[in-house]
Amino acid sequence: MAWRTIAKKDVREVTDSRTVTWGLAFLVFVFFVGGYVLPLNVDDPTTADLPTYMADAVGLLVPLFGLLLGYNAIVEERASGQMTLLLALPHSRLDVVVGKLVGRGAALVAALGGGILLAAALVVYPFGSLDPLALAGYLLATLLFGVAFLGIGIAISTLTASKQTATAGAFGVFFLFVVLWPQLPDILALVLEELGLADGGLPDWALFLHGLEPGMCYERVLEGFWADDPSGAAVGPDAPWYLGEWVALGLLGAWSSGPIAAGYLRFAGTDL
Amino acid sequence: MAAIEATQVSKRYGTLTALDRVDLTVAEGEIFGFLGPNGAGKSTMINIFLDFARPSEGQVEVFGLDSQAETVAARERMGVLPEGYDVYDRLTGRQHMRFAMESKDAEGDPMAILERVGIDEAADRQAGGYSKGMAQRLVLAMALVGEPDLLILDEPTTGLDPNGARAMREIIREENDRGATVFFSSHILEQVEAVCDRVGILNDGELVAIDTIEGLRASVGGGTKLVITTAGFEEGYLADLRGIEGVESAWIADAETGRVEVTCSNDAKLDVLVALDDRGVDVTNFRTEEPSLEDLFVEYTGGGD
Repeated sequence: MAWRTIAKKDVREVTDSRTVTWGLAFLVFVFFVGGYVLPLNVDDPTTADLPTYMADAVGLLVPLFGLLLGYNAIVEERASGQMTLLLALPHSRLDVVVGKLVGRGAALVAALGGGILLAAALVVYPFGSLDPLALAGYLLATLLFGVAFLGIGIAISTLTASKQTATAGAFGVFFLFVVLWPQLPDILALVLEELGLADGGLPDWALFLHGLEPGMCYERVLEGFWADDPSGAAVGPDAPWYLGEWVALGLLGAWSSGPIAAGYLRFAGTDL
Repeated sequence: MAAIEATQVSKRYGTLTALDRVDLTVAEGEIFGFLGPNGAGKSTMINIFLDFARPSEGQVEVFGLDSQAETVAARERMGVLPEGYDVYDRLTGRQHMRFAMESKDAEGDPMAILERVGIDEAADRQAGGYSKGMAQRLVLAMALVGEPDLLILDEPTTGLDPNGARAMREIIREENDRGATVFFSSHILEQVEAVCDRVGILNDGELVAIDTIEGLRASVGGGTKLVITTAGFEEGYLADLRGIEGVESAWIADAETGRVEVTCSNDAKLDVLVALDDRGVDVTNFRTEEPSLEDLFVEYTGGGD
């Protein structure tokens, strides 16, 4: 259970850092504002309205904070020599990666979970209603979404011994997935139309490709499982199965575990 | 069983060879000094013991445990003061100790060890504010946690003042008396000479000598060094001196004062002086010395060329 020791130390270090605590507090604050404002703008507010209401903020902030928490998890200690001290003790490199994931994951889950529950409480009290199943689903999906970006961040952190490279990598992933990705359908549609492969819309395989990104998976999970009547090209009634919510959930799970597993293998195979 | 058993360990970085087929056995209970100039490959070797670096060829066993495949089990028996570490800025000295104890599953009082290394007064300060010497003592304290069977100390006196260095030697002896094997590297000869049972000298990635200090001394000619102050000595004469039967090595110790040093057997002393006279070199003074480890070191690491 050596990873526990590392996770505990990491939580202590992370929560000691002012930047991180302020960042996570800001995340909670955003949910607070969302939960406070939602009942003022929605008739018959219920916690089931939260996902849609918070979608833009979550889609931007969760990847941002997930990556920020993750990208320097390993590389900072490695570049400074703290990793040398850590691995001089009887820890394996797997302990290190798991400990970091659990430690930072705990911090992220606490902030994200706390924020969502706070927002839900503000929606319910005094005028709204609670939809416990949808809330639980929203909570789990959002935590999984957060862990996916944390995992990607830590994976970036395992790949390099240079802090600059890791920073560039995290920025690159954020830019690609959060900034560039939403523009992709338009670009793809244009290209495909030019090539005469499609007219106007996107073929299913292109939708699948676009839907691979964690944020897209997250949206589809929320839409597919908890929307009253799922619509749209991906989760609507006519959509093929591989664009559905179960596949999206699986993909989100893969994003949470795949990159960090690959990162560990790379980290385990290289000299410190 | 040997504490450390390295077999044909090589490490290459691209075309650079950091270690070249090093064989090394450290017996249980001995204090082993790993000596060599900076850049000789000492830290690379230690990093391979710890699985920080993987050998290109060969393998290392620590108490019979493979340093790669069973690295955690091997490190459970070690206390390590590594090279190039950094402490956790935001954790206090005491928190560092707790972390080491938890990691090693060790019981005990962290303050007792901090007292032993002499930083108990700073125990509750964040380690980010420690001086280099204090950080070095803290990491030594972490290495001592859990009474390890093997202490690996990479340049342990770096950053320590003379008092600190002496305290370090005392701790090494105490740990050895307790039964621990000690392996430490240094480029400082006095450190090694003062405490070691056996010495290995690494130069340019090759283990050029491994023996007790007495054994090393005995291996240098008759164990005598001539220190000759001359006038008119030319570098070319060194080859002539080395050609004399019984002469092990000769080098210019100080070009300005014309001091030449020669290690040779007792019988060859006169021949050396005669040879100098033959070449018109004035010998203004000369004395003989038992060779120090420094001379051995210079000789083995090519400093006398």
